[in-house]
Amino acid sequence: MPATDYQASFLGRISIRRNQVIAMDGNHEQELQDLELFSKHVSERFAELLSSPDDVPFDALLSISWLRKLLDFFLCCEAEFKGILMMGNDPSQISKPPLDRLIPEFLDRSVKALDVCNAVTNGLESVRHYQKLAEIVVSALEQKPIGDGQSRRAKKALTSLMSAMNVDDKECSAAKATERSWSFSRRGVSSKDRVPEHFRSVSNQVAKNWSAAKQIQAMTNNLVPPRGAEGSGLASPVYTMSVIMVFVMWALVAAIPCQERNGLSAIHFPAPKQLNWAQSIIGLHEKIGEEWKKKEKKGTAGLLDEMQKMEKLGNILMDFTDSFQFHGDITDQKAEEAAAHAAELAETCRRMEEGLLPLQMQIREVFHRIVKTRTELLNALDQVGKSSPPLL
Amino acid sequence: MDECQSAIPAHDGDLHVVAAAHHIVKALGTTKNLSNDLRKILIDLDAHLSLITSNIDSKGGKGFVEVEERLKRVERKIVIWESDRIMIWDSGPKEASDYLEAVDEVQTLIDSLRGLSMNENQKQKQLLHRAASLLQMAMSRLEEELIHMLVKHKQQSEPTYMPSPSSQRNVVYNESVVSLDNESAKEASSKNSCSDECGEYIVDLVPEHVIPDIKSIAKVMFASDYGQEFCEAFIGVRKEALEQHFDILENGKLSIEDVLKMEWCSLSTEMNKWTWSMKIIFRVYLMSEKRLCDEVLGEFGSVNSFCFLEIAKTTILCLLNFGEAIAMGPQEPEKLLRLLDMYETLADLVIDIDALFSEDGGSFVRLEFHKLLEGLADSVKAAFNAFGVAVSSNGSLYPFPGGGVHPLSKYVMNYISMFPEYCSTLNLLLEDQHSDVASLVSEPQCGPTASLSTSCPMACHLRSITSSLESNLHKKSKLYKDEALQHIFLMNNLHYMVQKVKGSELRPFFGDEWIRKHNAKFQQHEMNYERVTWSSVVLLLKDDNPGSSSLSKSAFKEKCKGFSVAFEEVYKNQTSWCIPDPQLREDLRISTSLKVVHAYRTFLGRNPAHVDDKCIKHTVEDVEKLLLDLFEGSPRSLRNSRRMMKT
Repeated sequence: MPATDYQASFLGRISIRRNQVIAMDGNHEQELQDLELFSKHVSERFAELLSSPDDVPFDALLSISWLRKLLDFFLCCEAEFKGILMMGNDPSQISKPPLDRLIPEFLDRSVKALDVCNAVTNGLESVRHYQKLAEIVVSALEQKPIGDGQSRRAKKALTSLMSAMNVDDKECSAAKATERSWSFSRRGVSSKDRVPEHFRSVSNQVAKNWSAAKQIQAMTNNLVPPRGAEGSGLASPVYTMSVIMVFVMWALVAAIPCQERNGLSAIHFPAPKQLNWAQSIIGLHEKIGEEWKKKEKKGTAGLLDEMQKMEKLGNILMDFTDSFQFHGDITDQKAEEAAAHAAELAETCRRMEEGLLPLQMQIREVFHRIVKTRTELLNALDQVGKSSPPLL
Repeated sequence: MDECQSAIPAHDGDLHVVAAAHHIVKALGTTKNLSNDLRKILIDLDAHLSLITSNIDSKGGKGFVEVEERLKRVERKIVIWESDRIMIWDSGPKEASDYLEAVDEVQTLIDSLRGLSMNENQKQKQLLHRAASLLQMAMSRLEEELIHMLVKHKQQSEPTYMPSPSSQRNVVYNESVVSLDNESAKEASSKNSCSDECGEYIVDLVPEHVIPDIKSIAKVMFASDYGQEFCEAFIGVRKEALEQHFDILENGKLSIEDVLKMEWCSLSTEMNKWTWSMKIIFRVYLMSEKRLCDEVLGEFGSVNSFCFLEIAKTTILCLLNFGEAIAMGPQEPEKLLRLLDMYETLADLVIDIDALFSEDGGSFVRLEFHKLLEGLADSVKAAFNAFGVAVSSNGSLYPFPGGGVHPLSKYVMNYISMFPEYCSTLNLLLEDQHSDVASLVSEPQCGPTASLSTSCPMACHLRSITSSLESNLHKKSKLYKDEALQHIFLMNNLHYMVQKVKGSELRPFFGDEWIRKHNAKFQQHEMNYERVTWSSVVLLLKDDNPGSSSLSKSAFKEKCKGFSVAFEEVYKNQTSWCIPDPQLREDLRISTSLKVVHAYRTFLGRNPAHVDDKCIKHTVEDVEKLLLDLFEGSPRSLRNSRRMMKT
């Protein structure tokens, strides 16, 4: 019906103008200040995340503590965002253009983010499992002197660990890794009739065709920076918060085992560099994206710093146990090296033990926060819809 | 071969090389598909290496000879199984206990070797390594035995005495407020009734006779510091088993996005499945799993709760997420009953959940479910309010044909007649909104005669809903141009409401006072109908001049004609009207008849002179009979009926 279309857009235009008129009065300054403060905080927070030193293990990029900081910042930004959006002087703004389009899109993104949160929470269960296997390796290699028995014990756990990490990543790179794990199986062919060693992997919580990468890709739909006059209004924090949300989910998926992550590095979200707050996010996106590309070829369970350490140490210790079994003994120097690596692995396990559960809780908190904001926004929209006569 | 023979080691330091080689040879010997030649070579090599070992033994190791002898004996017992593809515990209890004894012995040897001061004694070190190797071999074997045992004895079937989900999954309540007829509302009404059927059903997830075997393995593995391996293996199998049980319950693996987009019909099914699965998973499987963990691992400190949590977590997260998705979805009125089911189920289970996850590690689970319970409570309230709004705002453009019972009345009354089953829950949840509503519907119920049931929050809300329904019906009645039909419509609907209240569990919540009042209301409409329709008709027959004994012929004729026209008009109209309740229809006909037939008979009786066929279109008997055609809902014109009567 062209007539109504015309009317709708006509009325739409009027209300935009009305918005602008409202925005011109005294409150406008306050609003502008709030917006500025918001983007300032965003850029400060992400600059801090970007400047995380790689050499300090505790705060390294994509380490557990880094992720926790990221989520902390997300929660802070989110609270500020909600404040700007909901405590504004004119609550009816959210039902007027362009927000009448942007808010539902934002809510749609929120729902997708919730599913990502769940997938990641589930993925953390796998990480817990790796931790437990690594702890066995540590227990075996902590004993002195290391003999054939300890070496075998460590090797068995290492084999499980390495293959578990690879099984979880099956979707990411062809199943080449799984075969390897079987060939290491202690009993080789003869174990066929018996129960194979147990590898736990991410159990699918959602439908098989659910894909974390596609989900995040879908979150970037319609995500474009506000243009022209919109840029000075509430459209801009909605855009900013959306970018933050997409980035945080993307980073979580890159770090933690997740269902189907093919094409994760190909996801771009258009954050123009000229926006001050976006620079650090772009920087982080590039940095993590590079890492992912490097790993994608080899196949990895995730970029979580602790897991990468685990993988690296696992490979070294695997070589150690291999050579131990081949030679039957080792030099003192090798034993010392192995002990040092085992100690490093123990430290990694300790950090996981301390950090994984709180991280999981924090993801849950993010989940609940997103739900809460969504509910509040829906209620506000509902309220506005009731109190003001609808535009046609 | 030759090289081997020449390489007889000269000192102890090389012994473990030989031992390692020996192990490798033995391990190779277990390979299944060896050629006969190769097998022979390996056997030879095995014998040779044994010889070397014993040679050195006789030379070295003064005080360790006995230890070494013991080690060798036990080594044979353990190594022999390495080449055997039959599981030890499958072979028999004797084999199993022998093996455990052997492992104990290895552990004892290790302990005693460690107990000796380690003064760089090569022999001691070498024996210790050898024993540790042996221990690793045994532990690895025990882990396999454990997994085999757990997998083999995993109870595959569902407990048979549990009601199956299909028997309780009731008909989907898939209609919206406007388009619901009596039947589907009734079908939908059967509440999930399994709360009584499944109390606590702890089952043997692993047959009871296997538990001691598992425990014996646990004991030995924990004693040898291989508890971690035991736990990982145990968790792995049990977790998978739980997930399989969960899959059997047919829970669709849905993302939140899926749930929010779902059609009501499938969503209702999923909500039912969730309610069902929650009960089964917590009451049956997790309770039983907890018992199994406690039985097997109870004596090893807090590992039992750790293992239990690891086993349960993913399944629990799945259930939790569906609940969250429902709690955040839009709360349409039709969801109310399913939401109540979900809420009641969880409210019921919360105590169990708290008990199952009482340890620190489980606080996360406890917290999440308490949050979900709050969320569901809010959802119930929201859906309840949405229901109220839907009842009062349901609008129509056209009058409901025939003035019968409107589908909205049926829907609302049938729907609310389910509420008493959820009485205590609704009272709890509606408590905080109680005061507003109570003031709205503070009818005499809240007076001194009010009983507890009529003044509870749910009762007040119920009456507030029916009063919204009444006002809506009044609005709808205004759509009729004919005032008489307005009254018929209101009479029908009010009567229907009263009947529904009287004939259901709703009665105590509405109280006799309400029933009395509403009886009076529909009777008032009945009277109004009679007045509006028949007063003018009867008035036509009225004696203008009470003094004189009879009318003139022309006046009589005119009155007669007037009456017939008016009567036929009413007949034509009101045969298409509808009073679905036979008793009500009968009552109305009788009282109409009394009024109209009586007036007609009197009129004719007063003018006996003029009574002849030509003048009188309808006899008294005709009128009496014709009145029976009213309110049947099938329009008739008088010509037809007259012809029918003549034939």
